[in-house]
Formats: sequence, structure tokens, C-alpha cells
Amino acid sequence: MKTQKTVLIVEDEKSLRDALTDTLRLKGFLPLEAKNGLEGVRIALSKHPDMILLDLIMPEMDGMTALKKIREDSWGAHAPVIILTNVSATSEKIVEDMVTHKPINYLIKSDWKIHDVVDKISGLLKI
Amino acid sequence: MTIKMKSANNAFTSSLVIMAMGLIFLPFVVFAQSDVTKNAQVDTSNAGVVVKVAPGELLPISVKLSNFGGGNRVDVLVAYSIVTSAGQEIYSSSETVAVETTDNFVKTIQIPFGTAPGIYTAKTSITYNGQLVPATTQFSFTVERKIFGLFQSDFFLYGGITLFASICVVFLGYVLVRRRHKTRFVPFDYSNIPRAERTFYEILSDTIAQMRGRVGDDALTIASRINGLKIDTETGRILDLNESPAKIIATLVSEYEKLLGKKVSFSFRSEKTDYKLIK
Repeated sequence: MKTQKTVLIVEDEKSLRDALTDTLRLKGFLPLEAKNGLEGVRIALSKHPDMILLDLIMPEMDGMTALKKIREDSWGAHAPVIILTNVSATSEKIVEDMVTHKPINYLIKSDWKIHDVVDKISGLLKI
Repeated sequence: MTIKMKSANNAFTSSLVIMAMGLIFLPFVVFAQSDVTKNAQVDTSNAGVVVKVAPGELLPISVKLSNFGGGNRVDVLVAYSIVTSAGQEIYSSSETVAVETTDNFVKTIQIPFGTAPGIYTAKTSITYNGQLVPATTQFSFTVERKIFGLFQSDFFLYGGITLFASICVVFLGYVLVRRRHKTRFVPFDYSNIPRAERTFYEILSDTIAQMRGRVGDDALTIASRINGLKIDTETGRILDLNESPAKIIATLVSEYEKLLGKKVSFSFRSEKTDYKLIK
């Protein structure tokens, strides 16, 4: 039997997190949820999900700090991460962080429908 | 076609020339000659052109009567008829023409509206006083319905050619657009660039390619104006970065967002690429 692929959603906005969770579950994924960066790092390093969907602006720990922490781990150094944010990559600092910590994609929320994001995850995980 | 005719009147030598016209004047020529000393001959020739008319249209027939000679007027009865290929007559009329020596006129016959498509024969004969054998001549023509002002066969021919040409143009356009689109999205290979800078080259190159797909060559124009960024303005390949690469990317993304009126997403290349790169 084929193992379900796990996707960790690190998102503080509950409505979006729920919508992503439902859609992923509908597509056959096993979604994991974290409502801030701190919780995201803890779940990521303990559960080793197949994909991490990461928001940038969050309470307690922002997405970029969470990504740095994940990359410090031997498993997390190569863990596939998709940034899903409303923050535009128009500052030098964000670009440098992105290049340093290499997410697979930097997706703007307003530019992407939930189904398209899930389809992208499916494509990347080759499902 | 040869028809022999005799004349009882020594004073008259007559000939008949009948010409049929289609939409344009078409030369169907018939000669009839009569002489006291010999039997006259009628010769018919056509240029190999098929006359086509539609039901309800006029079929023009050019009639030439000549060499009646003698200076006396002769009343000539000219009879017209149209028959089907099966020999059934669908039209007939006649008129008397007074001929002194020669006469030319065009007779128009309206093809009946209910005429079925097919090949028909238009027959014309002359009879005059003292003539022993009537002179007759005929030619074939086609009756065909019209669609939007074109004969049915022409309509389907030209329609078919137009449709085929349109399909070819659409297909060719589709192939060219696909090819252009595909070429634009084949990423450039920057393996010659040191690893530390390569990612910046790849992000810039892929972002330009993606924007080019969305806004066209404006994406290249905007990129070429960014300080410190040198690109091939034809292909979008990154040639050199003279400023902080992160600053160049941030500026480029900012310019594209101004152009689009919304924020721009971008992707990073995977370490293991399963697609071809342009060297």
C-alpha cells in the first residue's frame, strides 16, 4: 500500500489553513498544521513531512526564522519548502534570505488559488 | 458538327452564325452556308468552355445571320428551345427576323426557376421562304444552383480551399506560438557561473522568462534598464551582474509588479533538473 504524503501547513490565518488542509486531504495527502513558525519548526523536525508550506508573517516566530532553523537540521537542510506569502520579494534582504535558504517556490497568495497550490504540491511530489 | 442545307433560291446565299454567351461572352460559333451550286456546310466550334447558368438567370445567345445576299429582305423564322439531356423540352420560343444581307443580335432566354441542375442543350434553328431543310445548331450548357452568389460547385471549391487555408494558417500559428512559448521557457544553463552567484543568475533568468510569457518583450525591455543587470535583449539570457545580485532581483521584481499591478511569484531551480537547459 502506498504511503500517504505528508504536507505541513505553517499558517497563522485559520481560514486559509483550514481551506488548504481540506483541499490537501481531498487530494489524498495527510496534512499537518502549525499556527506559527515555532510550532512549525517543532512539527517539521519531529514528523519530517514530505513538503512544508510556509507563511512568512506569523506571530511568535516568522517564516524566515523558521526556515533558517529548519535548514540548520540535517534532515531540514534539504527539506522541500514552498513559501506562500503576501510579502512581495522587492527587498534585498528577502531575496538574500531566499537565495540562502532556497525554498522551491516563492508564491504570492493573491496570485495563487488554493487548488493551484495543491496541484503544484502534487506535481512536485509527483503524485 | 456538320449540317448540310440546301436553298431553292438561287439569289440567296445565306449563312448563320450563332454564338452563345455565359456569364462572359463565350464563342460558340456555327456557320451555315447555302449556295445554288453546292450543298452548304455548318461548322461548330467552341473554346472548350462550359457555360453555367443558375435557374432564373438569363442565357444569352448571340445570333448572326449573314450572306443572305440579293438586296431583298427575307423573313427568317428563328426558333429557340432548351432540352434536357434526356431530350425533354423545357423551353421553346420563336421570332421572325427580317434580314436583308446580314443581321446580328443577342437573344436572351431566361432559364425557368424550377429547372433542375444538370446539363442542357440550347437549340436554335432558322427557317426561311423556299428553304428545303431547316438549319439547326446547338450547344450544351450547365444549369447549377447558386449559394451566396457563387455557383454551387465554385462555392464548395473555393469554400474548401478557404477552409483548408484557414486551418493551415491556424495550425501554423499554433505551432509557432507553442514553439516560441516553449523556447522562451527553456531555462538557460549557467553552469559556467560560480556556484555562489549561479542561483541569482537562475532566478533572474527564470523570472524574466516567466514575465516574458505574461507581458511579452516588455519584460526584456524592463530588465535591460535595471542598473547592474546586463542581458541579451533578444533571448533574455543573463550576461553579467555588476551590482548586488539580491538588489537587482528585488528591483526587477519591483518593476514587474509595477507593470503587472500585482505581486510576482518566482521559483528556484532544483539541484536535479529533469529538463533541458539552453547552453
